[in-house]
Amino acid sequence: MSHFLLMVVYALLLSVFFAALWRRNRREQVVLFLQLFVGMVGGGLLVAWLMYPFPSGPPAPIP
Amino acid sequence: MTTPIRSPETTRPETPAAKAAAAAAVDAAAGRRGALAAVLAVVFPGLGHLYLGRKARAALFAVIVLVAVVLGAKLDGNLYTPMQGHPLTYLATLGSMGMGLPYFLLLYPLHYAGDVTAQGYDYGTAFLLSAGLMNLLLVLDAWDVGTGRKE
Repeated sequence: MSHFLLMVVYALLLSVFFAALWRRNRREQVVLFLQLFVGMVGGGLLVAWLMYPFPSGPPAPIP
Repeated sequence: MTTPIRSPETTRPETPAAKAAAAAAVDAAAGRRGALAAVLAVVFPGLGHLYLGRKARAALFAVIVLVAVVLGAKLDGNLYTPMQGHPLTYLATLGSMGMGLPYFLLLYPLHYAGDVTAQGYDYGTAFLLSAGLMNLLLVLDAWDVGTGRKE
């Protein structure tokens, strides 16, 4: 599985979880779900874009 | 001259002490209900909410936590166990154990051990740890709903 897909699945699980846990009204749940999901995926992409110019360096040794 | 017949409700003394005792009894019952819901939620994800009659929420929470556990295990993530000399692993173990029965099923009958060389190791670890932490939040939610602090 690609890193991006895993990130999306992770964001999806957590967004649904917190929307169901913290909100009771259906409309509020949808709003919170969208805020969390877009925040997590968009934030991840933004950080990836900001880190893009930096060299990744040699791979870390496996302990 | 006849005396009026009074019902038991009207003859019951409604003193402040009696009211306080009745309120304490209600609080104790709510506390027991919340405690049982919290214990059930620790045992298995969603069980606490099921006990409280929130069937749809129980099913949703159980599916979310179990999907995270299965994905984490499929990705060969690390299921934390205490390591001497590494104090943070104790905290991480407590967090992972929050998933309840699945943690012990993975660890003992299945002898699950993550693979640090696997491509999805870090993601798997995040999924497994998140599953435990999510269920810990469910325990608190079940407690709040059971005691009546939350609807």
